[in-house]
Amino acid sequence: MASEKHNDHAHDHAAHLREKHLMLDPLPRGQMNDMVMESMRATSWKFWVVFGVLSVIVAVFLFGAWGYMIANGLGVAGVNRPSYWGIFLVNTVFWIGISHAGTFISAILRVFKAEFRRPFTRAAELMTTFGLVQAGFSIFMHMGRVWLSYWLMPIPNQRGLWPNFHSPLSWDLLAITTYLLSSTMYLFLPLIPDLAMARDRTPDGTWQKTFYRVLALGFRGTEGEWTHLRNAMNIFAWAIIPVMFSVHTIVSWDFAAATRPGWSSTIFGPYFIVGALHSGMGAVAMVLAVIQSRMKHMKYFIRGEHFEGLGMLMLLVSMAWAYFFFNDYMVQWYGGDKWTQQLLHFHEAGPLGWMWFAMLVFNVAIPWVTLWNKKWRSNPWLLFTVGLLINVGMWFERYIIIPISLTINRMPFTWRMYTPGVEIYLGIGTVAFFILLYMGASRLIPLIPVWEVQEGQMAHSLKTYGRETVVTVSELE
Amino acid sequence: MTDNFSRRDFLKLASVGAATTAILTGCGPASRYVTREPYTQMPEYTYNGQSTYYATTCRECAAGCGLVVRTMQGRALKVEGNKNHPANLGKTCVRGQATLHGLYNPDRVQDPAKQSKRGSRDFSNMDWDAAIAVVADALKNTDPAGVAFLMGMAPDHLFDLVSDLAKAVGAPTPIRFGALGMFEARATLGKAVENLFGQAAMPFFDLGKSDLVFSFGANFLETWLAPVAFTRGFANMRRGGGHGRGTLVHFEPRMSQTASKADMWIPITPGTEGLVALAIGRIAAEARGATSAAFENVDVEAIASASGVSAEKLDELGKLFASADAALAIPGGAALAHSNGLETAEAVLALNALVGGLGRAGGVLLAPLAPMQTEFSRPANIAEMADFVEKMKGGKIKTLFVHGVNPVFELPKSLGFEDALKSVGTVISFATFPDETAMQADYVFPDHHGLESWGYQRVAAGSSQSALSGAQPVVSPYYNTRATADVFLAAAASAGGALAQALPFKDEVEFIQSKLVALVGEGDGYFGAPEINTFTAYFQQYGGWWKTVEELSTPSGDVLGKAIKVGEAKFAGEGEFYLHPFVSPVLGEAGANKPWLQEVPDPTTTVMWGSWVEIHPETAHELGVDNDDVVLITSEAGAVEAVVYKYPAIRPDTIAMPFGQGHSAYGRYAEGRGSNPADLFGEQVNDAGDLAFAGMRVKVEKTGKTYPLARLESRMGVYGEALGEEH
Amino acid sequence: MTIELKIPEYSANWAEGEQQGKWGMAIDMDICTGCQACVAACAMENNIPFVGEADSGYGRSMHWIRTERFWEGEFPEIKMTPYQPVLCQQCGHAPCEPVCPAFATVHSQAEALNLQVYNRCVGTRYCANNCPYQVRSFNWRDYERPEPLPNQLNPDVTVRRRGVMEKCTFCIQRIHRAQDQAKAEGREVADGEFTTACAQACPADAIVFGRIDDPESAVSKLAGGARGFHMLEELGTLPAVTYLKGG
Repeated sequence: MASEKHNDHAHDHAAHLREKHLMLDPLPRGQMNDMVMESMRATSWKFWVVFGVLSVIVAVFLFGAWGYMIANGLGVAGVNRPSYWGIFLVNTVFWIGISHAGTFISAILRVFKAEFRRPFTRAAELMTTFGLVQAGFSIFMHMGRVWLSYWLMPIPNQRGLWPNFHSPLSWDLLAITTYLLSSTMYLFLPLIPDLAMARDRTPDGTWQKTFYRVLALGFRGTEGEWTHLRNAMNIFAWAIIPVMFSVHTIVSWDFAAATRPGWSSTIFGPYFIVGALHSGMGAVAMVLAVIQSRMKHMKYFIRGEHFEGLGMLMLLVSMAWAYFFFNDYMVQWYGGDKWTQQLLHFHEAGPLGWMWFAMLVFNVAIPWVTLWNKKWRSNPWLLFTVGLLINVGMWFERYIIIPISLTINRMPFTWRMYTPGVEIYLGIGTVAFFILLYMGASRLIPLIPVWEVQEGQMAHSLKTYGRETVVTVSELE
Repeated sequence: MTDNFSRRDFLKLASVGAATTAILTGCGPASRYVTREPYTQMPEYTYNGQSTYYATTCRECAAGCGLVVRTMQGRALKVEGNKNHPANLGKTCVRGQATLHGLYNPDRVQDPAKQSKRGSRDFSNMDWDAAIAVVADALKNTDPAGVAFLMGMAPDHLFDLVSDLAKAVGAPTPIRFGALGMFEARATLGKAVENLFGQAAMPFFDLGKSDLVFSFGANFLETWLAPVAFTRGFANMRRGGGHGRGTLVHFEPRMSQTASKADMWIPITPGTEGLVALAIGRIAAEARGATSAAFENVDVEAIASASGVSAEKLDELGKLFASADAALAIPGGAALAHSNGLETAEAVLALNALVGGLGRAGGVLLAPLAPMQTEFSRPANIAEMADFVEKMKGGKIKTLFVHGVNPVFELPKSLGFEDALKSVGTVISFATFPDETAMQADYVFPDHHGLESWGYQRVAAGSSQSALSGAQPVVSPYYNTRATADVFLAAAASAGGALAQALPFKDEVEFIQSKLVALVGEGDGYFGAPEINTFTAYFQQYGGWWKTVEELSTPSGDVLGKAIKVGEAKFAGEGEFYLHPFVSPVLGEAGANKPWLQEVPDPTTTVMWGSWVEIHPETAHELGVDNDDVVLITSEAGAVEAVVYKYPAIRPDTIAMPFGQGHSAYGRYAEGRGSNPADLFGEQVNDAGDLAFAGMRVKVEKTGKTYPLARLESRMGVYGEALGEEH
Repeated sequence: MTIELKIPEYSANWAEGEQQGKWGMAIDMDICTGCQACVAACAMENNIPFVGEADSGYGRSMHWIRTERFWEGEFPEIKMTPYQPVLCQQCGHAPCEPVCPAFATVHSQAEALNLQVYNRCVGTRYCANNCPYQVRSFNWRDYERPEPLPNQLNPDVTVRRRGVMEKCTFCIQRIHRAQDQAKAEGREVADGEFTTACAQACPADAIVFGRIDDPESAVSKLAGGARGFHMLEELGTLPAVTYLKGG
């Protein structure tokens, strides 16, 4: 009786562990593959309604408004003297920030073998690529003569001119291009086995079959193919980490290398990276919550443990961000430059001072209060909300750094508030476009890297030693 | 025949033909204009990329500054000052620079036209023959006493022609008027000089050689008399010549642009300028140990309390004035626009006498008359204009010719000029721009723009040399306009009789030459010529004719012999605020239709494209109004709405409004923009007949509306607004 | 055909204490009356568009030169600070130059001026952000000049389209004209032979332009005097414009 009880207890414990941890709750591979395929194909009419609405928003707000702006000049936006940049650059930095989460989660956690990453690396990597697309839109939009933007590329031309490599904007362009290319490749490599899986589960004669066949590059799962793939992924995972760090550092140099009060701060590089991770983590949390609740079978793949782990990361990043914010503020304040002092005062007491306080509440206070609690941070919708607030807070941070800080310069005669014009719609358009791309991707490629999950599940098992049930992991790779 | 026609003959014949053509066209009116050609089809005589420069005279105000206009292929590109011209020595003001936006203004009157009903703006174009017939008919068939000419302060040659014409017809002498003359208080200044020195003349204030200037309301850096010349004088005073840096003290209830350059700005109670001058005179006299009857009975304490300038300050100012090497006191502008304005002018001028400033370098002298001028003349004052309007109302004027002035806009509304027009049989406007008066006319026969015109202008102020500024077209007329002088000459010719005999000139140029003949052989000229054609050529080339020697004369008269009395200023209307109108330093009286002038910020407020009312921030606070709030200003004569500008440098009991905006016509850039303080003006005049425009009290009420003023300055950066440090 | 790509120099290379620049300007703030003649003269010479009420009130006016003034004290002791015409300072070490990715704002070695090459400008507006003097203006729109206003346009100066940055050029078209003339006559350009539109119009002669590399020139004498100072000198931008403090 006692032993039965004990067995029951052990059994309960094991069941509990299985329920909690995806790695300990394996399903047959074929079933799991079918679940992923089904999650792509089960599309309700609601999906198409949202998809349609977003398409219209993208067509009107993004491309329509952009065309209007190209035809009429930037005057239709709110940029002015002295806020020459405005929301365009806010959005650029914001989207590049979002894009950082993908690499961070996928590459860094992969390199450090954080097991909870497995089901959602793809979702995060997609954010990188799609976020960068929006960042590209935002930065090209802000150009006065966007039709000449190819002049910024280092290509041979009849003008006999290289781009100016002294300009942080040139660095920026190269960094973002490198990041976009490498992150796209890094997205693609782990996708190959899943594409092959999808190819094998798609009926002949459909366009999807062709799509998967072409993209899967004839992957059959041979030993040699796996070895090559693993090597390539390893190289990319290691290589993309410095690229990621460099990108946002270089973005920060657009500001830090300038002579403006509030901008020429030596700590902007790490400050921007941490800020990017902050918003990126928040965005991943939001995306996971949506995927989990909206896509079929996703409750199996994405569980409380993932939100819990993510929540912990968010808390950590929030603390780091708070540290850098304080550091940046402290040094600028202590510097005593009268224009910087004026600017810091303007941040807090100016007409948009509420934004400064909201930023601190959203980025620091709320994560710190909510994410300490393990139970709370396991709740998808709480994490969604916190992630949303962090993103709003981080958008505010960029708004404060760009248009609000541009308001205050060394010529008080020219100080002027910035009121956004058409760039609001353009910003909404990029958000819609991001979601649209994501929704499209969710119908075409497996959002869950099945082979990675299966690989993890194979390595993990529950073993019962006497009274204790423990998780054992076999060495991978 | 053809066989015998050698190449040599051909060349002979061709050259004779060419010479004949050259002579014929060269002497005819055709050569007087430069033809405008597209850049792609240039005539042979124009070199690609080479500019041609023409000297002419600025018509943006009546000061008569000389211009040199750069043209290329018949287009006027840039206006510069004429370096040799004694009025401006190569410099221009902001309005002069923007005169090209008048020349190429998209809203010019393009053809002679008849308006179906006055004010309807329903114009039907006419041809010039019909237009001349209308003028001829008006001249011939109207009772001469019923013909009236209302002319602007420029150009002078047209005024001379019209004067001759009026004499020949037997019509009353033409009347000249301009809002600038009204705001300058020219009549008061002339009258004061006449009263003190027994001689009507324009005073010459030798700013440049003075080391201390007390300016009583004279906005000499803005629009007053000859701003370019005065600015030069001011700069020389500051550079200091032999004296060291000169000091400027300015008395005005509001810090004007001139006051802003002062070392000391005294925000004086409006209407007490003359009293303060007396107090300064008394203290200065005492400090110099001189007794003068003029200032003997002055009660300094009483003046201190009336003017709001403390007795200590008066003492300091008096001693400062007494101790300067070359002190100069200038009366002008709003200080003279009070019921006691003439007395104020006399009191201030007397200050100069006290410190020996009459006739001394750096003091007050009398400006020379212009060449061909026999006596001092001035535009009509408001008293005379009021008489004129009465005559119109009484139906005594059958035909009114209006040129160079926009009385519907410029005259105080209370005079009722617009109403009075209804009693005039025929109104013929020669406006270049579709101004308010043209909109109330039966016919508009547009004159050329000043840069397309011949003419001359007498330099009345600002030049120590007697000067006649010459004007010539720098480009051919852009539209189907015609010189008003030519229209009158053609009309006179077609009317025949005595009229044709009195004006036997082929065209405007011949008329001008007939006047210039008097200068041929005149000595001390900038150039000389043996006969009129050569003289005219030089006159065009140099942009006028002037003496090379100074001809300033010393005022004389027993100024200090008897006590000078300055009465108390009487204020018309009720209300808690003094109204202090001033001419917009950028727009002047007629600049509102030039887009770039609209975009040039006002020097003191930096407002563009609008007008405003300046209210002290504390007063605004008491009234419960803020920047950009619209207030209703009510005087005894009228009411206007204006946008509040919280101006920190104005007396709390005074509000100030610029004149220049508030047009109801005058082209797309002017129409419906801002408000016109002339709508508030009453009819109170001073003893010289000038309008007491500063002698008014007004009420200010909040309307609840707002209108954002376009400012160049940052309200955040300059006033600390929105930074938690608001003043 | 091969095209050789090159990287232009963008910065002056003066050592400490060396003569700085070629053209210079001295502005006497004690004499400047704030009359705005320079503003209008500049607009007329350089084909600067007017932008209308809404845009000019929103910090989009195109003035290449503006007059600044502030207030000191409270009524009745209030004073206006001297009018200060602010235009491109033609810095020796210009912050605008290195940040342009398209080499649209480069340093002229020949004239020691900051050039703005309209044709190269793609409108990133980084230069304007980085200009400590905020003297650059951007063509936010294609500004309308109704006929026949375009007749007035100066054929020596490019008319800029939307999306292009612009700024004061020290009237480089006049510099070139004078140099061409001098070259044709086989001589150097003399000081005072020509001047910029703003200096030419200035009724008070508060703006003096000329050869700053000639110690005998009017501008050098004024700039070298005790009253001279440079705006935001602490930034080390080496401006070619010297302001003269009140006397």
